[in-house]
Order: sequence, then structure tokens, then C-alpha cells
Amino acid sequence: MPAASRNSIGGGGGGRGFGINDDVDILTEVLKRLDGRSLCVAACVCRLWSSIARNDSLWEELCFRHVSPGARPVVVALGGYKRLYMVCVRPVLKRLALARPRVWSPVEVQLSLSLFCVDYYETLAGSGPPSSLLFLCNPVNV
Amino acid sequence: MVPYETAAAAPPIPIGNPPASSSSSSSNTIIPKPPEIDGLLAGAGYKVRSSDLRHVAQRLERLETAMLNSPSQQLSLLASDAVLYNPSDLSTWVDSLLSELNQSQSLPSLPSDLSDLMSNPTALDGSWMDQQLPPPTAAVHNQQPPQLTVVTAVEEDSGIRLVHMLMTCAEYVQRGELALAGSLIQDMQSLLTRVNTGCGIGKVAGYFIDALGRRVFAAGGGGGVPGGSAYENEILYHHFYEACPYLKFAHFTANQAILEAFDGHDCVHVVDFNLMHGLQWPALIQALALRPGGPPLLRLTGIGPPSPDGRDSLREIGLRLAELARSVNVRFAFRGVAAARLEDVKPWMLQVNPKEAVAVNSIMQLHKLLGPGSPGDPARPAPIDAVLGWIRSLNPKIMTVVEQESNHNQPAFLDRFTESLYYYSTMFDSLDACALQPEKALAEMYIQREICNVVSCEGSARLERHEPLANWRERLTRAGFRPLHLGSNAFKQASMLLTLFSAEGYCVEENEGCLTLGWHSRPLIAASAWHAVAETAVGAVSDVPVVGGVVL
Repeated sequence: MPAASRNSIGGGGGGRGFGINDDVDILTEVLKRLDGRSLCVAACVCRLWSSIARNDSLWEELCFRHVSPGARPVVVALGGYKRLYMVCVRPVLKRLALARPRVWSPVEVQLSLSLFCVDYYETLAGSGPPSSLLFLCNPVNV
Repeated sequence: MVPYETAAAAPPIPIGNPPASSSSSSSNTIIPKPPEIDGLLAGAGYKVRSSDLRHVAQRLERLETAMLNSPSQQLSLLASDAVLYNPSDLSTWVDSLLSELNQSQSLPSLPSDLSDLMSNPTALDGSWMDQQLPPPTAAVHNQQPPQLTVVTAVEEDSGIRLVHMLMTCAEYVQRGELALAGSLIQDMQSLLTRVNTGCGIGKVAGYFIDALGRRVFAAGGGGGVPGGSAYENEILYHHFYEACPYLKFAHFTANQAILEAFDGHDCVHVVDFNLMHGLQWPALIQALALRPGGPPLLRLTGIGPPSPDGRDSLREIGLRLAELARSVNVRFAFRGVAAARLEDVKPWMLQVNPKEAVAVNSIMQLHKLLGPGSPGDPARPAPIDAVLGWIRSLNPKIMTVVEQESNHNQPAFLDRFTESLYYYSTMFDSLDACALQPEKALAEMYIQREICNVVSCEGSARLERHEPLANWRERLTRAGFRPLHLGSNAFKQASMLLTLFSAEGYCVEENEGCLTLGWHSRPLIAASAWHAVAETAVGAVSDVPVVGGVVL
């Protein structure tokens, strides 16, 4: 375990002030505001951060929660927001060459969810990794 | 694909003007006409007799080679000092130019490819004449080494030749001259070795030559589709689904229409004419789960071929879909109907409840019913009419129909062949632009089976009887259906789907309430929605209802 985290979990006393790892809730709030790439990087910092990053609600912020709040149970059932982000939202954003803070249109939400659902369905088949979303990862052929 | 576009722009040559180069017996069997001036060239201002076309082409080619090889000084002399009369009479003009050049140098010996080209009478049916001929003033070629230009001319020329040979071969097949067709097929196969069959016209031509070969050489007429177990078909279908957007477009567009039609209903029933792996339905289940007001009770009846080895594949798919529906809290029931052909299905097998809203979904299935049907009882209606009849009796809220947008069901073989050559070339072009390697090869096999069926099968074996949207509109209207316009949501969804696909040539178009997906403005697949009109109201239908949008 890296030295920094051991020191701070053991107690931030000794005149050192507040350590970022002292309060998990605050840490979660901070990580919630990161963009996708930064969140992935944060997940590699230490075990504490990694376990926080595994919290699906962090990834919900990155997806289109504000457009479709009722979608949560469905998304969770189909694999969770982190998977939705990695498998669907991130390639779509990249393909459409968009920055993250933007308003998703309902059609975009629906199509992304549909693609995600097909992907989940393929995992149910259990015959190898799902491949229906591979087309999203290919370089644009101009 | 430049060589092919040239050919597609000039289909009249093999059909209308009897080509001078095809065997002379063919000119004699057609009603004899006086030696006539070639019509296409006359339009460009040149007078050439049709019978002279081959001769002129040969001479022009030799002239080109001679010009390439002659020193520039001599060419400029030719351009300025030579006196040539009557340039519109191409035949004599070319001969005189050649003799001018001949005076100063002997003609170089032609590469063996070119001389092969000239000795093959069936190939050169005016193929050079398709392109705009250069004006009589000689254009001095730039300092490219002559070797290079000749090679590329042969490559491109081979592509054009292949297409013309294919058309000629198809004409022989239509006339029943199978021996001539057979020898031409062998010529084409040897020409294929010199063409790049990895992409472009070479690849498509290879498949068509193969299909023609099956037709001509199969004992007992009507070659079969290669392989063809239902399991293999499903695998190829799956790869076709992944490699290009046609099936995804079909599924998502149909789902959107069905979703909108089911608005406000609590018991819904979808009948799928070809379940395959059920890839269309997860998205609908998810969309129903998220609709405002909560999901309805969804019943799905999937029709598919019976599995030979005792596996109940329909039931397995049903179980998988049920598991997905359970995880998103949609009440779901599945029923599988195993039938070898769609016309064997009877409405009672579907167990439709009168209180539920029914959607019938046919993705590229209806055209299989356009064949002659089972022989025997002439009083029975044609299969397509029988099936449309019982669909109508179910009183569906919506019937989604997706079909290939091409006419591969014309009575004359040559027409079918020409149209399918154009259609599948375009489709292969679009596939080439997709980069998924292993999927692409298997997707091509899927398309190859369709090509084989269209070209080499006849009668009840020929299932791929595609017809264009206009024909389907007419047929469905006659059967008592009225169109439902696909709303703007479907269009937006299709457009977004295409932006996600990597290739830039796809285009979605709206065609009187139907959506078509095509490649570079050639529609390849058309999706439409219909509903049955009540018997009494057939005369009174005025407005076409536009399906309202339900936005999640």
C-alpha cells in the first residue's frame, strides 16, 4: 500500500491538517466531478480511491442522468453506469467528437441505452465477449 | 468504382445495339438491319458503323501505344503538319493517323495482354467507346514511362471487360445458349486471375462468376446455395449484423415505430417473422421498460426454422430474452413457432388475444413469399396473398416491413442479373468501408449466399425475390393495408446510428413516410410501417395518420 494513504488512514493528527483521504464522503464528492479519463486515472491511485471509483453513482454523473432519471434501475440491471460509460457513452462521445458537459438529446439517450441493452443481451448468451458494439471503437474512416 | 460506373451508365449496349463483337451468329438471329451507325457515338459527333466498332477500337489502341512510344517531336509534327480529312469518320481517320506514324517508325509489339484483348471477340463490344473520346487533335502525353500507363489501363480495362463479359454471359443464359455461356465463364475465370479480387469490381465479379457457373454447370439446372444449414445462416447473419448498419437500422427503425404504436396499451404482442438470435428485441424491451407510465405486458412470438439436431433454439432465445426482461422488470412471455416456410404458419399458431395490441415485424421475409408456391391446386391463392390475408385478419396495430430496395424479381433473367450486379456492387462498396476484419469476411459470405440464390436458382428454390418499395406499397395497399408514416424520431435515430458507424458514405432518406438507408445516394434497404384498415372503412380513409412521438 502506498505510503501516503497509510499515513492518512492511520489518523491525520500530528499537526498535519486535513488529508484528502480522511473523509470518504468528501473524497467521493470530489471524484464525482471528474471527467471520465480523470476518473479512470484516479481509480489507479490507491486502493481507497479505487474502491470509491468502483461506486457506480460516480459514473452516473458522467452519463446522462439528468436527462433520464427514471433510467437508473434499468441501467443498473443491464450492467451499471460504469459499464455503460466505458462501453457506450465514452465511444459515442468520442465518435461524435463532443466534450462532456453538454446536453444529451433524448434520441441520443435512447439509442445509447438500446445499444447498451443489446450488449448486455449478448453477455447473456455467454459465447465469448459481446461484439455488437465493436463498431463504435473503430477509427473513423474518412 | 470507376470501371463499373461506366458500364452501369451504358447498359443499352449489350441489350439495344447488337454489339459487333459478339459472335456473328447473334447478329443474324436478331432481325437483320442495314449496317447502322452506332447511336452513342453519333451523339458525340462521330460516325462509326456498329460493325466497325471492334476494328476501330483496336486501331485506336494501337494508335495510343504508338503515340506513347513515339518521340515528342514526331507527335508535334503529327499535330501540326498532318492533313487529315473528315475526323468524324473515325475508322478512316484512325487508319490515316496510324499510317502517318508508321511511316517514321514501326509499331511496337503489343504486350501479350493487349493482343489477348484483341483476339477475344466477345470482350471488346465497344467498351472503349463508352468513355468520351478525345478530340482529334492529339493530346501529347506527359513523361510517364509507357510501361506504367499500359499496365493501369489493362487493370482498369480488365474490370470493364469483366463487367461486359458478365453481361454477355447473362444474355447467353437468358437465350439458353449454355455452351457459349460456359466457355465465357471459363474465360472470365482466367481473366479473374489478372484482376485484384481483394476489393472492388474484382471481388464482386468473382462472386457473380461463381453464381453463373453454378447455374450453367449444375446438373439438372438451378444450382443450389452453397452450404446452408440454419445454424450457419444464423452465424453469418450475426456477422452481417455487426459489420454494417443495415440490420441495425432495420431493427431500430422498426422498434421505434412499434414503440410509438403501442403507446397507451397495456397488453402488447409482437410477432417476429424471423427470430434468429432475437437481437432486435432487447432494445424494445428496454424502451418499454423506460416508457412513461411503466411497461406493458409484452408477449413475443418468434417464428423460425425448425432446428435439425433436436436443440430447441427458439426456446433458448426466448429464455434469454425472458431473463433480460426480468432484470428490467418487464412482464414478458415468449412463444416459439417452428416453421420451415412462412406460408406454413397458420394464424391459430400465434394465439393472438383479441384484447391485445398486435405488431407484426417482418425483416426481409416477405419477399420469400413471392415465388410460385407449392404446385398442385391452382385455386389456392398465391403465398404472399394468403399470408397478407391472415396478417390482416389479426388486425395488427402496426406491421413493420423492411425489404431490400431493388428489383430482383423481374421475369427476364438478364434484367435481374443487371440489377443485382449494380445492387450488390454498391453493397460491397459499403462493406469495404467498414474496418471490422473477421466480421467483414463472414458478412461477405452472407451476401454471397443471396447473390447465389438470385442468380443461380429458379422456381421455388429462388427465395430472394426482392422488390422495390413502390411494388410493396402497391401490393400492401391492394391487400388492405394503409401506410403509417415513420415519425421524425425514427429519422433522427437512424441518422445518429449512421454517425456512429465509421464509414462516411451511408445516407438515410425519407421517402413518403418510409425510411431508406443507402450508400452514396443509392438506397439499399427500405423500412416502412403499415396498419390494417377495417373492412367497412376501406373507402373512407382520408388522412394518413402520423404516428406520434413518445420521447423518453
